[in-house]
Amino acid sequence: MNEHRRQILQMLSEGKISADEAERLISALEAGLSSSVSQNAPDSAPRARPKYLRVQVDSGDDGHDGPTKVNVRVPMQLLRAGVKLAGLIPAQALDRANVAIHEKGIPFDLSQIKPENLEELIDQLSDLSVDVDQADHGAKVKVKVFCE
Amino acid sequence: MIPFVAVVSLRGRQSRTLRIWVPLILLWLLLVPLAVLLSPLIFVFCLACRVSPFRAFSVGWQILWALHDTHLEVDHPSAGISICVF
Repeated sequence: MNEHRRQILQMLSEGKISADEAERLISALEAGLSSSVSQNAPDSAPRARPKYLRVQVDSGDDGHDGPTKVNVRVPMQLLRAGVKLAGLIPAQALDRANVAIHEKGIPFDLSQIKPENLEELIDQLSDLSVDVDQADHGAKVKVKVFCE
Repeated sequence: MIPFVAVVSLRGRQSRTLRIWVPLILLWLLLVPLAVLLSPLIFVFCLACRVSPFRAFSVGWQILWALHDTHLEVDHPSAGISICVF
């Protein structure tokens, strides 16, 4: 970069370009540098790992009692531990749960979930963001689930 | 880190807030001898359920460890409760 700047200044000193042209060239050079830095920044910066899962519910005012607000912050470590707890479920209980799930018409087999899949699932939660807005009996209910 | 203190805040309709500090560390100290006494029973129960007792202990410990920094808050104009684990 300094090399380019030096070349511009040399051209100016040699009279090949005017002072205005030199200024414009230097400005263009700096603009090019800042845009390339901003383009590279998201890739070079390490992504911070989320620490908490947040669930926020705002029921809105239904005109009777007023709004109810729920705010839950769960550490991701607790989610991981909970997932491991699910891995302790005995096979018989899993079979029963599978039967109940199939009866509900959901084609899902709990025994197919492996601990490594669950770890991956928790890791992917970092990109999770769910926003639900719904009008319920005149009150606007807002549910927000995200990681931070 | 094992949670040391839980703060439970209760609020009534009169907007009075009752804040209770629960020293969890004392609770753990009380529960440790009980857990040691009950460990043979827990061990047998785990084996009867075909669950590895060591794995069960490991997961239980991890859950206890991860409880730190948990926050739960429910707020309504008539009442509210907040639980923070530190």
